[in-house]
Amino acid sequence: MRTTLELAWRLLRGGGRRGLLGSLLTLAAVAVSTGLLLFAVGANHAFSQRADADAWRHPATMAGGAATAVQALDTDYVRGTPITIVDLAATGGSASRQAPVPPGMKAFPKPGDLWVSPALADMIKKLPADQLAKRFRAGAPTGILGDEALVHPGELVAVAGHKPADPAMTVERNDTTGSETTASPAPIDHYATGAVSTIPQVYQILAIIASVLMVVPLLVFGGAAARLTVARRDQRLAALRLVGATPGQVVAITAAEAVLTAAAGAVAGALLYAAAIPALTQITIGGGTWFAGDLWPGLLPLAAVLVAVPLLVGVSAIVGLRRVVVSPLGVAKRETPPGMKAIRLAVFGAIVVAFGMISGNLLSMGKTGAVLLVVFLALGFLSINLVGPWVVALIGRVTAGTARGPARLLAGRRLIDDPRSAWRTVAGVALTGFVAGFLSLMNPAAMPGADAKDRMELTVAKARAAAVADQARERLAGIPAKVTVGGAGSDDYSRTVEITVPGGDAAVDRARTALHGVVPGTSPTPPAGSGAELYLLADLRTGALTVLVVSFLIAITSAGITGASAVLDRRQTYAMLRLAGTPLEVLDRARRQETLIPLAVMGGGSLLTGLFFASPFAVGFGFSGALTLVAFVVLGFAGIIGAGALSRPLLRSVTADPAPRPD
Amino acid sequence: MSELVLSGHGLVKRFGPTVALGGVDLAVAAGEAVAIMGPSGSGKSTLLHCLAGIMKPDAGEVLLLGQRIDSLGERRRSELRRTRFGFVFQFGQLLPELPAEENVALPLMLGGVARGEAVRAARGWFGPLGLAGLEGRRPGELSGGQAQRVAIARALVSKPAVVFADEPTGALDQNTGHETMRLLVEATKHNGASLVVVTHDPNVARWCDRTVEVRDGQLLVPAGGVV
Ligand SMILES: Nc1ncnc2c1ncn2[C@@H]1O[C@H](COP(=O)(O)OP(=O)(O)OP(=O)(O)O)[C@@H](O)[C@H]1O
Ligand SMILES: [Mg+2]
Repeated sequence: MRTTLELAWRLLRGGGRRGLLGSLLTLAAVAVSTGLLLFAVGANHAFSQRADADAWRHPATMAGGAATAVQALDTDYVRGTPITIVDLAATGGSASRQAPVPPGMKAFPKPGDLWVSPALADMIKKLPADQLAKRFRAGAPTGILGDEALVHPGELVAVAGHKPADPAMTVERNDTTGSETTASPAPIDHYATGAVSTIPQVYQILAIIASVLMVVPLLVFGGAAARLTVARRDQRLAALRLVGATPGQVVAITAAEAVLTAAAGAVAGALLYAAAIPALTQITIGGGTWFAGDLWPGLLPLAAVLVAVPLLVGVSAIVGLRRVVVSPLGVAKRETPPGMKAIRLAVFGAIVVAFGMISGNLLSMGKTGAVLLVVFLALGFLSINLVGPWVVALIGRVTAGTARGPARLLAGRRLIDDPRSAWRTVAGVALTGFVAGFLSLMNPAAMPGADAKDRMELTVAKARAAAVADQARERLAGIPAKVTVGGAGSDDYSRTVEITVPGGDAAVDRARTALHGVVPGTSPTPPAGSGAELYLLADLRTGALTVLVVSFLIAITSAGITGASAVLDRRQTYAMLRLAGTPLEVLDRARRQETLIPLAVMGGGSLLTGLFFASPFAVGFGFSGALTLVAFVVLGFAGIIGAGALSRPLLRSVTADPAPRPD
Repeated sequence: MSELVLSGHGLVKRFGPTVALGGVDLAVAAGEAVAIMGPSGSGKSTLLHCLAGIMKPDAGEVLLLGQRIDSLGERRRSELRRTRFGFVFQFGQLLPELPAEENVALPLMLGGVARGEAVRAARGWFGPLGLAGLEGRRPGELSGGQAQRVAIARALVSKPAVVFADEPTGALDQNTGHETMRLLVEATKHNGASLVVVTHDPNVARWCDRTVEVRDGQLLVPAGGVV
C-alpha cells in the first residue's frame, strides 16, 4: 500500500507542467462541486432552521388542566412588512410547573412586558409613535428577543405579556388567510420543535426539489472531474500495464491519485463555500435574509461531504479505468469503440412515459406526490444523462456523414469516437436546459393583491360588523380613510370591514395604529391573496433563479474545464495537425462545432423534457417564463462559446511548437 | 544537375546553451532523395524542422524554389507546409478518430477540395501502396507498417514539392521497415517530389540518392566535397 501511495504521489508530482495543469483542473472542478454541494446541503439546513425558529409560535394545544400558559398569535403590518405578534399569559402553574420560557427570552414575560426583535426595536425608534409604538400597550420595549426566536435576521417580532383575563388572551381569532399567521388563544405547557406549520413545510419540500435540481448536475460534473484524472493518466497507466503492473496496482495507483487530488479539492471547496456564506445570506426568501449559522451545514454533514466527495471521485475514477485495465492496449491503440446500446433511449422513453402516466394525479397525492415528484425529477435528470452520450454519438454520425468541410468532418468523427467526452462538455448546460424548462412554467405572472397596499380588512361576526365599522370610523378621524362593510367573509356568519387608506405608507401605518384593538388581538389583514402566499410566489422565483444560476455556474465551469482537458488530452494530435499545416481556425472551428452541435440538440431536448416534467404544476408561463427560456438559450450558447474560447490560448500553446516529441 | 527545389544556407539553431545546428548548408534537387544520418542528438531532426518551416532558424536562410520561407510568418509557413510539403513521422500523424481514407483525404479537404472528390482521390492511393480493403479502418486497427503506408499516402496526396520524413520506420521491424522505406522512396519519386529523410539505418539510406552526415550540429563534408 505504501509503495502504491508513493508511486501515486510521484506520478502526481512528476507529471510535468501539463500533468500539473491537469491535476489543477481536477482540483478546481472538485472544489466547485464541493462548494455547491455544501450549498445544497446548507440550503436544506437553513430551511429546517427556519422551520425550527417558527415552531414555537405554533405550540401544541394542551388539555386545560395541564396547561401553564395561554398563547395567541397575530400578524400586523408596518410599512407593508409583517410583524409577528405573540401574546402570552401565565395561567398560574405551581412552583414545580412554571410557564415555558419562549426561545430567545430570559424568562416568561410578565403582564405588561414587551419583547421585540432588534429590527422591530429599530422601527419603533425610527417611526413616529402614532405609526407604530402606540400599537403596543407598553409603548417602549422592555426586552430584545434573541436570534433563536427569529426566523430571519430582519424579522419583525413582538412578544407581549398579559394577564390571563386580558381580551387579547380570550377573544377568538379568525384565520382568514389560511396561512397560519393568526391563532386563537390556546392553553400550552411547552414549545414545539420541527416543522409544525404549513408554510415552512412547503419551503422545505421546495428546498429538496431545488437541491435535486442542483445536485444531480453536480454529480455528473463531479464524475467528469474524476474522469479527468484518468484521461490524463490513461496513457501512462496503459504503459504501466504493458510493463507488467497488475490490474490491482494500476487501480490502486489511480484511485489513490484521484482521492489525493479530490481531497485537496474538497477542502478548497469547503473554504470557498465558507467564504461565500456572507454573500449567500443576502438571498431574500420568505421576506428576509439569513443567519450565517442557518447556511452552515454543521460539522457532521460537513465531515460527511469532505469524506464522501473524495471517495466518490475515487470510485468514479476506477470505473473510468475499467477500459485500461481490461485491455492494456485499448487506450494506446484507440480501437473503434463499441456502439452504445439503444437501451439507453428505451430507459429514457420509459421514464418519460411513466411520468406522463402518473403526472396527472401527482397534485392530488399530497406528500406521496411530492416524494414521487422528487424521485421523478432525479430520474429525469439521470435518464437525460444516460441518453446524452447515445444521442451525441448519433449526432456525430449524422454530422460526419453530411460534413462537406474538414472542420465539420473532424467534429463529427470526434463525436463518434468519444461521445462521452463530448457529452461531458455540454452535459451541464443541457441539464440546465432541463431546469430552465421546468422552472419556466413556475412563473406566476401577476400577483393578485400586490397593488392593494392601501387596503386592509377586518373579518368580524356578521352581527358586529356595523358596530366595528362605526368604531373604526371614529378612530380614524383625522386620517383620510374610507370604511365600508363588505360582503360575506369566509363563511356566512362573518363579514369583512374594508378600510381603504390613500396617502401612502405613513397614512396606512397611522391608520393601523389607530385601529389597534378595535378587534382585540386581531390586526387588519391585507386583502386576500397578498399575505404569506405572496411571499411564496416571489420566493418561487428567487429560488428558481438561484437554482438556475447555480446550475449555470456548474455548467460553464464544467464546459471550461472539460474543454481545457480535451485540448490537453489531444495535444499530440493537435500538434501533428498544426505541423502538417492545418490552420488554427480549422481546429478551433472543429472544436466549437464539437460542442455546439450536441449542445443545440441536447439543450433543446432537455428543455422540452423539463417543460414536460413541469407541465402538471404549470403555474403560468407568461413573459418571465419566455424570458427564462430565451435567457437560457442565449446564455447557454454564449457561455459554452466563452468557455471554449478560454482554452484557445491553451490550444495555441500546445501547438506553438509543433515539433513532434513523445511526452 | 537538375534544378534546386529546397536549400538551407548557414542554418543556426540554439536551444539555450545547446547549439543544435552550427551553420549548416544543404541543397535538395528536384526529385532527389536525401538521407540524413548521424548519432542521436546530433541535430538531424532540428535540421529537418528548420528546412520544413516548422522551426525558425536563429540565423541563415531557407529557400523553396528560390523564395525565402524562413522569414515568413507562422500563418504563411503553415500554409506552405499544407500545400508544398508532406510529412511522415515515426508515429502519431494519423488522426485516431478518422478512417484511413479520410486521414488521407484531409489535406485535400483543407485545401478546399470537395469531400467526395477528396475521398475518391484518397482511395486511389490505397491499391498502389498495398492497402486495398483497408480504406475504412481506423488507425488503431492497422498494423504499424500499414499505418505508415497510410501516412505516406497522406503526405503525397496533395502533390507536394518535398516530403520530409523523420525516422519513418523507426518503430517498425527491419523487414517491414525496409519495405516501407522502399515504398516511400518509390512513391515520392513517382510523384516527382523530393525527399528528405532522417534515418539511423544505413541499409535504409541506400534507397536514397545521397546521404549526408550530421555531427554535433555540423554537416560532415563527404569525400566528394560537394554537399
Ligand atoms: N525543444 C528543444 N529544447 C531544448 N533542446 C532541444 C530541443 N530540441 C532539440 N534539442 C537539443 O538539440 C540537439 C539536437 O536535437 P535533435 O532532436 O535535432 O537530435 P537528433 O539528431 O534528431 O537526435 P535523434 O536521432 O535522437 O532523434 C540535442 O542536443 C537536443 O537535446
Ligand atoms: Mg530526431
